[in-house]
Parts: sequence; structure tokens; C-alpha cells
Amino acid sequence: MRELPVFIVAFVLYIVVTGSMTLYDIITGVITGVTAALLFSKHLIKNPKKALNPCRWLSFLIYFIKYVTVIELRAHLDVMKRIITKETRPGIVKVPITVRDEYGRFLVANSITNTPGTVTVYMDDEYAYVNWISVETDDMEERRRKILEEFEKNAIKIFGGADE
Amino acid sequence: MILASIGLILLIAGVICDVFGAIGMHRFDNFYLRLHAATVGTIGGKFYPLIGVALIAADMRLWPIAGIALLSALLVMITAPVGSHALAFAAAEKNLVPIEKNEFTGDSR
Repeated sequence: MRELPVFIVAFVLYIVVTGSMTLYDIITGVITGVTAALLFSKHLIKNPKKALNPCRWLSFLIYFIKYVTVIELRAHLDVMKRIITKETRPGIVKVPITVRDEYGRFLVANSITNTPGTVTVYMDDEYAYVNWISVETDDMEERRRKILEEFEKNAIKIFGGADE
Repeated sequence: MILASIGLILLIAGVICDVFGAIGMHRFDNFYLRLHAATVGTIGGKFYPLIGVALIAADMRLWPIAGIALLSALLVMITAPVGSHALAFAAAEKNLVPIEKNEFTGDSR
């Protein structure tokens, strides 16, 4: 059961990369998928039910589309403006983080780094240390709201809050 | 035709982002600020053009090129931050670059 999600992802990626649906490609895709599933599933998947839940995949897709359009556009325009005006006040700030799931934390850290203007420096159990292009506030809650609330909300929706 | 037009727009947006990233690299005078300019260059200047290439290739029915461009874009999205994390962490851990406000000190961990 644990192997199934890894097989599906590997097979779909193989078909996307080859860009064809001939019998030959499907057979080699299945062989690749099975090999990948047997080799990596025990390192990648803890809870197969969670990985096969279509609602989670759907919310991931919605989040991804929103992320690459709205959130990225806003952050890019902000940093481009700062490149011209040089209005910066760089600092490394402490931001509380509540997600416990490993994949969820990875998603939050990557989302923070991929938006221009914030880079994750380090993450411990309770806090994320974020290099912010312009430190606007000293209030932790306010920072949390500005930097990672949206990512965290979606990470919990996609991967769950606790480390399951 | 529509796909190719969107792809072309994404390619042009990528050029603009790359130019801004390059300007930022020169205008910003601090290591931590340059990291942000580099992010504009990687996400705006690589992720979006690769998606654009995928759309143009899909419009021309060149599916393998579209697939590889799409996968490369996703891989850039997943792996590019790792480099930024590593650089920022190394600089902050050893306190190599002076920064105005730093809450990441030895005591906080």
C-alpha cells in the first residue's frame, strides 16, 4: 500500500517527461515506477492514506497555482520596487511556526525562500529564523501574519498539522 | 496560438526579472540583500520562462520538450531555495556579514 503513491508520482512524471503514450513508453514507465516505489517508498511515505487523499492533492494544486500567480507576483513587484528605491532595512527575525509535519515545514521553508524578500535561515521546533528585506515590525504575531501565515495555513491543509 | 502568446509573455517577464535581478546584484551592497535579488533571478528569471517554453512547445505539439521544460521548472522551484538556505545559514551561523538586526544568535538555539 505504501508503494502506491510513489509509483503513481514516478509513473506520471515519466509519462510527462517522455511526452508520449505509446505502449513502449507505458511499459518502461511502469518498470521505472515500480523500481522507484520499491526503493524509496519506505523513506518517503509514513501514512499512505494521507498520501492518497485526493482532497489534499487538490488543495496542493490550488495552493500551487495561487502561489505562482498572486503571491509571487506581489513579492516580485515589491522587491523590484526596492531595487530601484533602495528602501531596505535587512534583518534576521524570529517568527513562530506551528506546523509539525516534516513535509509541511519543508513546504513552508521553501515557500518563504522562493518569495523574493524573505529567505529562511534556520528552523527549530518553535521558531523559523527569516532574513527579511525590510524589517517592519517588532511584534511577533504581526510578523507571522506578514511572512508565513498563508503558507502555514495551506501546509496544514495539505500535510496536516501534526507529524503523523 | 493562445498558449504560445501566454508563453511569450512569460518569456518576456523572465527577461525583465533577470534584468532587475542583475541590477539588484549591483545596487544592493549587503550579502543578505543580494540574496533577495538572486531570488528574483531564479524564480522570476528561470521558473516562469521555463513554463513559457513548455506552453510554446505544447502549442507546437512538441510534447517531450514541453514535458522536460515543465519538469525542469518544478525542479528549479524545489531545489533553488536549498542553495539560498545554505548560503544564508552559513553566513548567519558564523556571523560573517554584519547585519543591522539579528535575532539569530548562539543563545537563541
